[in-house]
Amino acid sequence: MLKLRYKLSLFNILSKLIFGLLFIILIPIILERINTLQTDNELIDKREQIIDLIALFGVDFFMEETRNDAFGSYNILKEEYISLERIYLDEYWNFIEVTQRIIDDEIIDYRVLNYSFLIDGEMFLLEIGKSLSSIHQSERNITAVIWVFLIVFIVFTSISDNSFATALVRPLEKITVKLKNTSSPEVYDMKPVGSSTAEFHALDKTLTELMKKINELFQKEKEITSNISHELLTPISVLRSKLENLLMLENISPEAAKKTEESLKTLHRLKVMVNSLLMIARVESRQYLKQDQFLISNLIIEVKEELEVLSEDKEIKITLNITADKELKKVNRVLLFTMFYNVLNNAIKFTPKGGNILIACGFYNEKYQVKIIDNGQGMNQEQSKNLFSRFRNKHQDTQKGTGIGLAISKTIADFHQIQIKVNSKPGEGTEFNFIFSA
Amino acid sequence: MNVLIVEDEVGLATEIAEYLTREHFLCETANTGLEASEKIAVNLYDFILLDLGLPDYDGFELLLEARAAEYNPGIIIITARGELNDRIKGLDTGADDYIAKPFSLAELHSRIQAIARRKFQVDNKEINAGEFIININSRKIYYNEKEVELTKKEFDLLLYLLINKNKTLTRIQLYEHIWGNSLEDQYDSNFIDVHIKNLRKKLSAHAPSDWIATVRGVGYQADI
Repeated sequence: MLKLRYKLSLFNILSKLIFGLLFIILIPIILERINTLQTDNELIDKREQIIDLIALFGVDFFMEETRNDAFGSYNILKEEYISLERIYLDEYWNFIEVTQRIIDDEIIDYRVLNYSFLIDGEMFLLEIGKSLSSIHQSERNITAVIWVFLIVFIVFTSISDNSFATALVRPLEKITVKLKNTSSPEVYDMKPVGSSTAEFHALDKTLTELMKKINELFQKEKEITSNISHELLTPISVLRSKLENLLMLENISPEAAKKTEESLKTLHRLKVMVNSLLMIARVESRQYLKQDQFLISNLIIEVKEELEVLSEDKEIKITLNITADKELKKVNRVLLFTMFYNVLNNAIKFTPKGGNILIACGFYNEKYQVKIIDNGQGMNQEQSKNLFSRFRNKHQDTQKGTGIGLAISKTIADFHQIQIKVNSKPGEGTEFNFIFSA
Repeated sequence: MNVLIVEDEVGLATEIAEYLTREHFLCETANTGLEASEKIAVNLYDFILLDLGLPDYDGFELLLEARAAEYNPGIIIITARGELNDRIKGLDTGADDYIAKPFSLAELHSRIQAIARRKFQVDNKEINAGEFIININSRKIYYNEKEVELTKKEFDLLLYLLINKNKTLTRIQLYEHIWGNSLEDQYDSNFIDVHIKNLRKKLSAHAPSDWIATVRGVGYQADI
């Protein structure tokens, strides 16, 4: 995509070039027209002068001079000539044409005025010619001047237009850079950009206000999550402590112990649910920092090792295939660990004993991707669609987890601009695809 | 050892006190920040369990007061706000550890023990279990002076059972101790069963490991 100022400059130059080109094409035609008109006027002027001379001195004055029936005169450079001769014509001539004349064995194009008139019953033809080369010469001179002027004009105005466009859109570029450097609304530079252009000023102001508003909302959400956290987790904590102490009683019957343990399990589920929802809310309101930098292979290996106990127990073979590594920057390691962990854990859960899981890292379609592929039970389309929703279908197996883990993974992926794609076929397996944006 | 429990939720403070008393601690509770501040200034404590979210007092203020006490208590912060900053700020301000609600009492106990080992150089660095000797400092387990290779998680699990010996620990308690709270989705008691299975297998190669008992329907227990 082109920058605005380049677009402006490009348009300016193009429009000038087109205009100049049109001018260059039209100039010879216009010049010729003007020149012809001018020449013709000159020729007519000269005719009038000669007619005046003939009226004053009589036609014989010219004829005697040459002792002939015709009179001719031209200047040294043969730019102009005048001729007068006796002629017999049925009609009066009065027209201007372009013809060739041979003067001193030289063929020259002339614009010639032919004018016939009667004096004492005799008809004379007056020819006044102007050489076309002299006319063309002046045309060429003018064209050259116009060329030079046009080039200088285009170059100078293009430079000045460009610098003006640059200066004009500078505030806009500053705003763009500011936005680009803003990973979260909290770090947005609130200092005004400063522009004399009303629109940019308004844009900057609106953006700053928007960021302030988002910050306020985040702050509010932060307070809300903090309060919810406190209000919900404290009673759970009280209950848990009471149940644990109950379990410690020496004379507790096995029956009561079992029921107490089951209550603790249920309480744990409640705790996981509350913490999961709080985690999603915290990620979504940007309460986690993205400050870590590490190689993705390290993280993937760590996740794999963490879950190996479970996969080994189910005799599931996890194959790691890293064809290319990637250094992640400005990310949250703990969150990304959780993201991969939940998905791999899910894969192990739904892969039968003796199955296979492949973790592939590398470039696919020019984008860095991490794929977690299992040959487990797979899902139908309906299940795939609801995979990332926070509360899944009712008939899911609660023994296999609260089902919120994948929703957390999705939230974390969104937070890091990672795209998750799922391909699954019932009976064949599931493929999770993490596509990194850059 | 003397413990001060600063917690505005009376129900929770009582339960913590009951559990720790059973573990032979002398417990006092303070349900307001003001009461806590007075007790910290007047009495001597080995441990202070401090809830940061007190309605009448800034938790960090109280933390500074506790830190300034000459008797140099071990301090564990308790909070339910779950704010990451609280954790960092708390540890920076001089707390020894941090525990998030809802925590397990066994976990709290093991954290206290860990701080005590570090802080007060408690002598019993070696624990006997069956025919094995466990060195807490070097984190190694020996049979007949020969080391038994355990993974980090297996060792943590074993140590946790031993510190809370003769008490049943539920799978959830064990799970949380090893993996913490960060992995929210885990409702897999399976994890612990697999680890215990592996642990027993490694120990049984040398000597009987039946002192790691399964308590049907509840969890596991180290009978020593």
